[in-house]
Amino acid sequence: MNSAYKKEIRYTLLFSVLLLMTGHCGLFFVAFPPLRGHMIFGFPSQFIIPVLMGWLGLMLVTGIQAKLTNDLDDEIEAMEDVVKES
Amino acid sequence: MDNAQQWALEDPTIGIIFVAASFIFFYFIGWYSARAAKTSTDYWTAGRSIGAVTNGLGMASSYMSLATFMGVTALILKLKVPFVYMWIQFGLSIPLITLWYGTPLRRMGVFTPAQFVRERYGLKTSYTVAMFMVLIMVMYAIGQMIGVAKVFEMLFGVNYTLALVCGGALIVGYVAIGGMYGTSYNAAFQMILMGVAFIVPLGAIMKAMGSSGWYFPPLLYADMVPAMLAAVPDFFDMKFGFKWYFALIPTLTIGAMGLPHLGMRVYTASNLKSARGAMVWFTFFCGITFSATYAMGFSGVFFQATSGATIAPTDYDKITLILNGVYNPPWVLAFVIAGAIAAGLSTISANLMAIGALIAQDIIATLKPNLDEAKTKVLNYSAIAGGGIIAILIALNPPDFLVVSVLCAFGLAGVTVAPLVILGVWWKQANRYGAFAGTFISGILYIAISPYIFPEFVLAGGLPAKLGMSGALLCVPLCFFLVTTVSMITNRIPALVNRIPHEEDKRLVDSIHGWTVYSEERYNSTMAGVIISVVSLFFVIYAILPSGW
Repeated sequence: MNSAYKKEIRYTLLFSVLLLMTGHCGLFFVAFPPLRGHMIFGFPSQFIIPVLMGWLGLMLVTGIQAKLTNDLDDEIEAMEDVVKES
Repeated sequence: MDNAQQWALEDPTIGIIFVAASFIFFYFIGWYSARAAKTSTDYWTAGRSIGAVTNGLGMASSYMSLATFMGVTALILKLKVPFVYMWIQFGLSIPLITLWYGTPLRRMGVFTPAQFVRERYGLKTSYTVAMFMVLIMVMYAIGQMIGVAKVFEMLFGVNYTLALVCGGALIVGYVAIGGMYGTSYNAAFQMILMGVAFIVPLGAIMKAMGSSGWYFPPLLYADMVPAMLAAVPDFFDMKFGFKWYFALIPTLTIGAMGLPHLGMRVYTASNLKSARGAMVWFTFFCGITFSATYAMGFSGVFFQATSGATIAPTDYDKITLILNGVYNPPWVLAFVIAGAIAAGLSTISANLMAIGALIAQDIIATLKPNLDEAKTKVLNYSAIAGGGIIAILIALNPPDFLVVSVLCAFGLAGVTVAPLVILGVWWKQANRYGAFAGTFISGILYIAISPYIFPEFVLAGGLPAKLGMSGALLCVPLCFFLVTTVSMITNRIPALVNRIPHEEDKRLVDSIHGWTVYSEERYNSTMAGVIISVVSLFFVIYAILPSGW
C-alpha cells in the first residue's frame, strides 16, 4: 500500500481525535475535578477553556486539517492511478 | 413584573415592517439566484458552485435556528454550564462530516447521504434510511414551524392557525422557488442578519448592565462573574456525572454527522478545497454566535439574579426578547424579532431542501428512474411544496411524539444514518445485510426506548431519556456493532455473498476516495472490523449499566 493511503488513514484518525478534544474539552474537567475552579481571564477554568477550545481551538485545528488534506488530495491526484475530481 | 409585556411590542407596526422587508428580500434572493438552475443537479446542489465564505455562512445558519434566540437561552437558564458544554460540540459537525465522508460523497456527486446508501447498500436499505431521514427532518422542521408561527401570532395578533398557514406558505414558497441556489444565498444573508440582530443588541444590554466588555459581547463579560458567583454560586457547577457528558458524543456529535441537511451543504461546494475552506469559515461564524449565545444566557441569569426580577419558567425561552425589551428601544426589539424569524427560516429551508431531495431523488426517482427533465422539474417543486404542506398540517395539531426536543432527532440520525455512511465510506467489508440489520434494529430500538412511546420502557430516565441521550449512548454503538458483526459473518457465507454485488460495492469505496486502480488491501482490514465490533460492544454494555449519569 502506498504512502498516500497510509497518510489518509493517519490524518483521518489524528484529526478526529484532535477535533473531539477541542469540542469535548469539558470531559477533562468532569474526569479530573482538581482542574476546576482556577480563574482564567476572569472566568472559572471549567467554563472558559471549553468555550475557547470549542471556538478558537477548533478554528486552528480545522485550518491545519484543511491545509494538510488539500495537500494530500494534490498528492493523490498527482499519482497515475487516480481519477480527477468531478 | 409583568413578563408577558416585557418582550411584546407596544406598537407592532415597526416589527411588521422589519419582517415584511426581510421576506421581500428573501423572495428576491430566491428568485434571482434560482435563475441559474438549469437542471435537477443545479436545483439540489446549486450547480455545485457555492464559494467558501457563502457556504460557511450557510452551514453556520443551519445551526442558528429559532432555538438560538429562544430555546438555547432558556436551557442555559435551566441547566446553566452543562448546557454550554452541550452546545459547544456542535461546532464539530461540519469538520467531522468533511473529514469522514463529505469530500468522498462530494467526489461521488450525490444529492443526499441516502443516495450514497443506495449505491453502497442497495435499495431496501436506502428506503429504510430515507424514511428515517424524512422523519428526522420532519421532527426538526416542525419545532421550527411552530416557533415561527408563534412569533407571527404574537407579532400580527392573529390566531395560531392563521399564523402557521400564512407563515408556513410564505416559507415554503421562497424555498421552492429558490431551490438550493436560493436557499444557500438566503442562508448566508440570514446568518449575517441574525448574527447582527443577536450580537449588537447584546452589547447594548451588557453595557446597560454595567459590563466594561460590551464592545465584544461573545467573550468579554468576565467583570460580571464575581456578581454572578455571589448571586448564583452554582452557575459554573458541573452538576451531572461523566456518563452524561460522554453521551453527548454519540447523541449530538455523531448525531449531527447523520443529519442530511448538513451533509448537503458540503455537496454544494464548487470543489473539494472550497468545501474545506467553508468548513473553516463555519467554525468562525459558529464560534462567534455560539459564544454570544452563552453570553446572552449568562446575562439572562445575571439579570434575574441581580435585578430582583422573577422570570416564570414558562417565559425562560423569551429571555432574549425580555432583555431587549428591558434595555433596548422598541425598534431594536423589532430588529431582534426579524433576526429570530430569519434564524427559524434558515433552518426550515435547509430541512425542506433535505425532505424534498429525499422524496424526489431518493424515493420517487428510484421508483421512476426515466423521468424527463420537464417532469423532474415539476417533481422537484412538488416534493418541496408537498413536504412543506405536510409539515404545516402536522404542526396544526402535532402529535406529542413529534414535538419532542430537536435533540432527539440528532440522536436518531446518529443511530440510523451516521454509522452506515461512515463504515460504508471507510470499510469495504460493510455489506448490505449488516447495514440493513444495523439501521433497522437500532433505529426501532432507539424510538422504542424513548420516553415518548413507552414511558415505562426507558433507559436512565429523566433528562438523559428525554433528550435521547441514554437511547443514543446505547443504540449508536449497537448500530456499529451490528453493521460490523453481521457483515463479517455474512461475508463468510458464500450463499449470502453471492446474492449481493459485493465486489462492485467494494470498488465503489476505492473510487470515491479518488483511486481508479482497484486495490483489495485498501479500506479492507478485518482487524479494524473486529476492533470496532469489540469497542462498540463495550459501549453497549456501558450504556446499559444504570450508574454514572
